[in-house]
Amino acid sequence: MPELVPPLPSSATLVAQNIAKSFASGRLTTPVLSNLSVSIDAGELTLISGPSGCGKSTLLSILSGLQTPDAGHVMALSESLQTMDSHRREAFRLHHTGFVFQGFNLFPALTAREQVRLPLQYLDLSSQEIDRRTDESLEEVGIAHRHHLRPAELSGGEKQRVAIARALAKLPALLFADEPTSALDAASGQVIIDLLHRIARAHGTTVLCVSHDPRLISHADRVLTMEDGRILNDSRQLTPHRPQDRRASC
Amino acid sequence: MVSLARKTLIHEWRRFLPATLAVGFSTLLQLLQAALVLGIFGGAAVYINDSSADIWIGYPGTQAIDLGRAIDGDVASLLDMNHEVTRVEPFYLLDGDWRGGHGTGGVSVYISGISTQPGGMMFARVLTPVLRAKLTYPESVIVDPADLTKLGVKVGGTAAINGHLVRVVATAPGLRALGGVDILASLQTARLLDSSAGEAGGPTYLVARLRHPANAGRVVADLNGHTGFGRYHAWTAPQFARRSVLFWLFNTGAGAGVLFLAVVVFAVGAIITSQALVAAVAASVNEYATLNALGVGRRQLRWVVLEQAFWVGACGVILASVLAGLLIWLAQSENVPVAVSVPVLSACLVLVMVLVGISGLMAMRTLRRADPATLLR
Ligand SMILES: Nc1ncnc2c1ncn2[C@@H]1O[C@H](COP(=O)(O)OP(=O)(O)OP(=O)(O)O)[C@@H](O)[C@H]1O
Ligand SMILES: [Mg+2]
Repeated sequence: MPELVPPLPSSATLVAQNIAKSFASGRLTTPVLSNLSVSIDAGELTLISGPSGCGKSTLLSILSGLQTPDAGHVMALSESLQTMDSHRREAFRLHHTGFVFQGFNLFPALTAREQVRLPLQYLDLSSQEIDRRTDESLEEVGIAHRHHLRPAELSGGEKQRVAIARALAKLPALLFADEPTSALDAASGQVIIDLLHRIARAHGTTVLCVSHDPRLISHADRVLTMEDGRILNDSRQLTPHRPQDRRASC
Repeated sequence: MVSLARKTLIHEWRRFLPATLAVGFSTLLQLLQAALVLGIFGGAAVYINDSSADIWIGYPGTQAIDLGRAIDGDVASLLDMNHEVTRVEPFYLLDGDWRGGHGTGGVSVYISGISTQPGGMMFARVLTPVLRAKLTYPESVIVDPADLTKLGVKVGGTAAINGHLVRVVATAPGLRALGGVDILASLQTARLLDSSAGEAGGPTYLVARLRHPANAGRVVADLNGHTGFGRYHAWTAPQFARRSVLFWLFNTGAGAGVLFLAVVVFAVGAIITSQALVAAVAASVNEYATLNALGVGRRQLRWVVLEQAFWVGACGVILASVLAGLLIWLAQSENVPVAVSVPVLSACLVLVMVLVGISGLMAMRTLRRADPATLLR
């Protein structure tokens, strides 16, 4: 039974302390993040919003271990990302992290079902378990009936749902999404953000989503507003726009 | 199991078609080249391959069969003492100047003086017992039917070799060697025709048959370990055949040409294949980066590229093998000298797969661009 009340902010699964990041272009170094601390909780959808170029994506990539910060620490599921070598980080991502990107990044040659199966094959799972998880996550994103189609035959919203199913099938504790709706029309974007919200509730997943789309704010449990590499505002919504969960009984 | 490599190959076959064809054609060229070279230069070993001897004994350092020098006949007694040896035959290989009729002028020929005993080893695969017996008559010779016009004689006709009269008593197909005409005669006739008779007098080679041909290597080593029986060296028949073929291959410049062509063909094949693989990886670089973000290791991603290379190679090789088989069959039926040797052809195929592997390794470098951090912008 999915929990519908947001848990108390005691279950921080993602903690960043005093992280800093700057990029050098030529002789100029531009600081993007400076002395930023934040902790993100499980079981809710946290949205990072802010103007373009303020460092949202950079923060997401540091929190997810795709980039290393110049200073500071990131603890993900109580493990320090900085002390891992790249192999360990890959293994950590394989077991614990899902990603959804703005571009759907689906292989043109694979059907929706195969896209979802592919990463599961690298986990030590029986083929029955792979089949079960594939079917369940396709079902969960509501695309089971189109499982045999290739990306060229799917709409943008459907493609993003396949990408979510691909991330979801690994049953990750952490799910990162960078502008998951910005390539989609309003209605499809709505479906996607609802889906992410529902995943956070139903699986207790830590969902961290970056978007500059103000329409998504009402769907998030917590909104972090960024500007110039700093978090200006951290607001928690106790009654966010409920995900339209067909299966949730409320 | 979803094989990303195979699915992509099938779905985007147009992208991989040039690479497959490039691999196919370089394989086909290599295979045909190998078959032709084996066919043409195999002639250098015609005496060895047409005979049933297991061991050849000749002058030390003889590089090819046609370059033999007379050896001391004493070594025959060493062979007689060896329990493995069941039969020994001398073989004379001499140069001759043939004068036929009909204004053909002089033709250089090789004269083979062979045993006419029933069951003789020399040219056992070409001569029937009846033909061999015909050589017993003094001054009788046998030639390849294809050489008759060149020699200006007919069966039953006469000609002169080194000033001695000979009579063509029969023809036997399959005697043609590299760049020369081969004439078969008995040992006695050959010695009679020898223009340098008296110089050494011994046979050019001794050939021997063994009780157990599989032991040839050991017997040869044993024979070469003795001293005091004159200057000689023993080879197994395959060793000596290979020695002759290789000598011709590399001393006529043909070998260098063959190698040069092989390198060019392989280089072109490798470049086209790696380019196709690079393009395929580059087209999906974001998808590979996404897989990496989801935790699929770089090593596994490299395997996908290598698997793709393997399938491109496999398709090309199968295509080429079928075509080569057809063309070699066609060539054989048209009397073009082609020969098939399983080790050589397999070596060609292995080489092609190595080439394909190298292309795959080159294409792997494109995966470095698959950095998941670039997906977050
Ligand atoms: N690899 C890089 N090299 C140099 N500069 C970079 C790099 N990545 C990001 N930046 C810079 O860092 C700043 C923040 O980038 P980031 O992608 O985090 O912004 P963002 O908040 O996600 O913006 P948007 O809403 O447009 O996606 C930008 O000014 C960008 O130019
Ligand atoms: Mg961004």
